[in-house]
Amino acid sequence: MQIFFILGIPVFLAAMSFLVKKQKAVGILNCLGYLAVLPLSAAVFKKTAVSGGTVSFFNFIYLDGLSAFFILVTSVVAFAAALYSVGYIQKDLDKGIISGKKARAYYSLFNLFCLAMFFVPSVNNLGMLWVAIEMTTLISAFLVGFYNTKESVEAAWKYIIICSVGIIFALLGTILFSYAFSRTGLSKSLNWSDMAPVAHIMDKNILKIAFLFILAGYGTKAGLAPMHTWLPDAHSQAVAPISALLSGVLLKTSLYAILRFGIIVIKGAGFAYFGHLMVLLGLISLAVSCGFILVQKDLKRLLAYSSIEHVGIISLGFGLGAPLAVAGALLHVFNHAAAKSLMFFGAGNIVSAYKKHNMNAIRGVLKALPFTGIMVLMGVFALTGFPPFALFVSEIMIIIAAFTGSAYLAAGLLLLFLAVIFGAFIYHFGRMLFGNLPKGMVSAGEPLSGKLAFLFLFFLVCVSGAAAVFFKKDLIWIAQNLFPG
Amino acid sequence: MQGMILLGILVSTCLMVIAKRMPSLIRSFRLQSFCLFLATFIIALGEHRPDLYIVAGLLFALKVLLIPHLLYRIIKKINTNEDLGLFINPQLSLLLILVFTYLSWVFTVYFIAPGDQTQISTLSIAFLIVLAGIFLMIFRMTALAQIIGLLVMENGLFLLAATVSGGMPFFVEIAIFFDIFVSVIIMGFFVYRINKFFTHIDVNKLSRLKG
Repeated sequence: MQIFFILGIPVFLAAMSFLVKKQKAVGILNCLGYLAVLPLSAAVFKKTAVSGGTVSFFNFIYLDGLSAFFILVTSVVAFAAALYSVGYIQKDLDKGIISGKKARAYYSLFNLFCLAMFFVPSVNNLGMLWVAIEMTTLISAFLVGFYNTKESVEAAWKYIIICSVGIIFALLGTILFSYAFSRTGLSKSLNWSDMAPVAHIMDKNILKIAFLFILAGYGTKAGLAPMHTWLPDAHSQAVAPISALLSGVLLKTSLYAILRFGIIVIKGAGFAYFGHLMVLLGLISLAVSCGFILVQKDLKRLLAYSSIEHVGIISLGFGLGAPLAVAGALLHVFNHAAAKSLMFFGAGNIVSAYKKHNMNAIRGVLKALPFTGIMVLMGVFALTGFPPFALFVSEIMIIIAAFTGSAYLAAGLLLLFLAVIFGAFIYHFGRMLFGNLPKGMVSAGEPLSGKLAFLFLFFLVCVSGAAAVFFKKDLIWIAQNLFPG
Repeated sequence: MQGMILLGILVSTCLMVIAKRMPSLIRSFRLQSFCLFLATFIIALGEHRPDLYIVAGLLFALKVLLIPHLLYRIIKKINTNEDLGLFINPQLSLLLILVFTYLSWVFTVYFIAPGDQTQISTLSIAFLIVLAGIFLMIFRMTALAQIIGLLVMENGLFLLAATVSGGMPFFVEIAIFFDIFVSVIIMGFFVYRINKFFTHIDVNKLSRLKG
């Protein structure tokens, strides 16, 4: 039942953004709306984590622990982004960068984007899953090209074309899955709840080929290297709160799609095939992002490559397949969403104060923007997996699982890349945060709503690690239910 | 009859890869979509399935009438060079398509292994169309040609879905049509923007974002 409210609130808010005249009121209404979604999605998660998968509304909606978890992550980032948007859009309006009409368009697109992302984990039909993911691309393309500059239009075009082609492959894979299902002679349907229970009698070879297409297709959207080329462009050009949504949630919804098909493949063709592919793609993503992070000059592109790194870690965790690794990967989905949103908000404030993306021109952030500076400093440590932050816990879970599962090469490479990326981050951000202000730079004020968003995310990054240690048993139980065997 | 339609699809695919200018590319795309429409319509007649009539009708309305019309309009409005910016000349392209045809046949026979002969030929043509779409997207460097490449890939998938599992479930099919229509409109919108900012639509020259 709650799911209808979760899906309904963004629709309502999108309509409101046209009906309510005052910009600020729309923004605050947005925050309240997503604040209401938060407990609803937590309730859905609590219910489904215990009861298992449930089908409702004419077989249209399917919810289990996995989908509820992704809904929860989406709602957390959506709330933070809504909070941050209030101050950010107001500032752009005051400076005259965007018009009132455009701000209104922003809020309606924001809500439609969130609606599409809530839709992805809740649909049962794998064809509708495809449609929902394509919808996220189409809606967010406008938000990537929002500022209407040469760069942003170029980024939006690359984003829409590369992701559309990728996703066509995913549709091809979906069709092959339905072919494998129809060959069992049971029925003709694309519903996950029909397909998953009979996965073990499907044709192994067709499943394997189909999964390759799925991985290439949804992997493009998830930002797994080597299909990641759209990602740094889109993330660096999008409006700051949208960058957070893109990196924190959009990539994860694609990962969710991969997992859905992955579960069928695991049942039908054994774990090794799925596991090897995921570990391989994860390690490639880590290697590629590591190289680009070292030589990066653009602040937001740096964070975008870091997203590729973290998606790599998550896919590695799922690929290892041990309950501890899967639990770590799930936890990492949440932690990365919180930490990366924090960093993108920080980057948004920094870029709008310095009016530059180039890290060589940004100095003395701690003096210019004291609050943002401190939060970004904490965020850097959180993002690079420094204790006591939550990402440390999830990464260490994956590493322990890798060592105990005697995947020494994967564990060693992961540690190596993490160490290099840690060094690069400290170097880049150390130069930006400390030092003297550039000439003619005056410290600007920071809006209250932005500060609240920072505090909310910072709280999550601190707490979720500790919570994971306390609820370790429950987490592993969920992970075990996810990947049986 | 089915053989004739398949031949028509094959020929239109070949026409597309040898097209040098935008209007002829759109014309061939229209032909291909029309063949698909015919195929769907014939099946609908044979099986008396109302949902298939609707799917065929939508296919005709969107891919034969509306989308080509939209694309023609964009060409007229942006008033740009109609050349496609060929990376590979038509002769070589045709040769590559022959190779693709063989490869998709091999893929069909050895990996998918369907039962009867018609299914084999339909499936290999479906995979060929998908490959031809990718080919168009990679080796034709204007933004509009990329849109067509995407649509061609989607046509291939339509044929594939119809062959292997008798089409997608009805409402998924409708949602996909809607999705494609929206994506063409949005891409068209961005083509205008690109043309406005860069005064060309050669995507190969979009290289401001690097590293």
